[in-house]
Amino acid sequence: MIRRSTRTVVMALCAMPLSAAGADAAYPGSAASIFSFSGFGTVGETHSSENEADFTNSIFQPNGAGHTRSWSPEVDSLIGGQLSARITPELSAVVQVIAQQNYDGTYRPHVEWANIKYQFTPELSVRVGRFELPTFLYSDTRKVGYTYPWVRPPVEVYSLLPISASDGAGFSYSQNAGDLTNITQGGYVQSNTPLPGNRGAAIARDSINVSNTTEYKSLTFLVSYQHARLTIASLDGFLNTFRMFGPQGAAIADKYNSDSKAVVTSVIGASYDPGHWFLTSEWGLNRSNSFLGDHTAWYVSGGYRVGKFTPYVTYARESAASNSDPGLTLTALPPAQAGFASSLNAALNATLRTISAQSTISLGARWDFASDLDLKLQIDHTRIAADSDGNLINIQPGFQPGGTVNLFSATVDFVF
Amino acid sequence: MQRLSRIGLTGLASAVCLGIAGVRADVVAVVSSNSPITTLTKTQVMDIFLGRRTHFPDGSSALPIDQAEGSTAREEFYARCAGMSSAQLKAYWSKIIFTGRGQPPATVTSSLEARKLLSANLNSIGYIEQSLVDSSVRVVLAP
Repeated sequence: MIRRSTRTVVMALCAMPLSAAGADAAYPGSAASIFSFSGFGTVGETHSSENEADFTNSIFQPNGAGHTRSWSPEVDSLIGGQLSARITPELSAVVQVIAQQNYDGTYRPHVEWANIKYQFTPELSVRVGRFELPTFLYSDTRKVGYTYPWVRPPVEVYSLLPISASDGAGFSYSQNAGDLTNITQGGYVQSNTPLPGNRGAAIARDSINVSNTTEYKSLTFLVSYQHARLTIASLDGFLNTFRMFGPQGAAIADKYNSDSKAVVTSVIGASYDPGHWFLTSEWGLNRSNSFLGDHTAWYVSGGYRVGKFTPYVTYARESAASNSDPGLTLTALPPAQAGFASSLNAALNATLRTISAQSTISLGARWDFASDLDLKLQIDHTRIAADSDGNLINIQPGFQPGGTVNLFSATVDFVF
Repeated sequence: MQRLSRIGLTGLASAVCLGIAGVRADVVAVVSSNSPITTLTKTQVMDIFLGRRTHFPDGSSALPIDQAEGSTAREEFYARCAGMSSAQLKAYWSKIIFTGRGQPPATVTSSLEARKLLSANLNSIGYIEQSLVDSSVRVVLAP
């Protein structure tokens, strides 16, 4: 399904008559070819003070800074290219390909966007294909570092819903009244995103996403809601082992397996940016009804622009409803089974520790040192909750819970 | 004597203000002199140049003509109308482009080229230096 939609778009693009380009060359508004190519990228290095675990930008990366590499270029580095086509004033298409560290450690490019959009009226458009959901203020351009002030959007909030590229259909309806612009976007999508470490894929089905963005002068206000049915089959397999221990085991398996359970994410965000400074905040709530946990997360970030420099400070916090479970009652079991039950309990709690709970204070600066280029430096000081691994992965036996982690990141973003 | 110095100071202040104004209030938004559009607000002009609206307030279609990146006219126009630096403008368009929502306006290489195109296209809107305004174009906004 995913492959077919991508292929359809590519075929449609190839089938477009090239002669149409420049047909109306007398006027610059239409003189441009119906095709336009644009690109973006980030070259970065991140250092982590924690040697016993890896910091990554998303759960889809297999390794990062810390244990695997003291300095990792893989956390933020990527390159993307996009071909846009304006076939008629109403009909347009876009294909965007990104190369970054994949779940399997390769840099094989993947299709991030591939859709056809039809503008029915100046207010209403419909798109079909692959696109990113506008769940957070920056989620649909989270791969384009040049579009935001930080090295990366705060992981506490943006990891609530790490899946962004999805396949399906969506609409956008915008209204203008004076200085007020209101855009409502909705979509019905699905996604299938491979996970690192032979953990199979995160499969989201029947995702319904609605978001509403209001812009009034320098103020942007976002409300979004997403309901999806998520399955991560590899972990469900482990949880189903509990069923051999009768009703108590079955109850644990039912409580924590994903198995198409509803994952609901609600977000409220606001940004005030009159030009010389900005203040941005987002708050998100995520309920998974599974081993993925229940989260609330928020951040506040402010920055001040002095010429080409934008120093900023961010505070972000992510809380989990629970990071542990008593598991099977060992005293009720015969000794022969208690040993196995105990190891299952330990594995369950190790899984629940991966539900992130942490807070970070970040200091950084963006320097627009040349046209189409920026340099960003950022220091993150993260305090991880005692019963959680935070957003870290590849946890080693020597990892000390409840500690702090310092990150230093330097990135150069570019657009072309 | 006191009065004289006050006049002198006022005169100096006026001269300074005029001097600053002379340097800064240089770029104006213009349409063809045959266009029915007579005046626009900063918000209306920016809505068109930032791709938020495709039509003038009277309902006729609006085609913005931008100037080349890095040109003084362009930097001044966006700084004065939207308080945006060239980097902020680029970040704004990157957000539009890489979400498949649109493309920035077509550009011309000089104010003279802009004026020539504007005078020949009723639906277009551009910006040029005040000093280049002639009978072929009409100023709709002096930001």
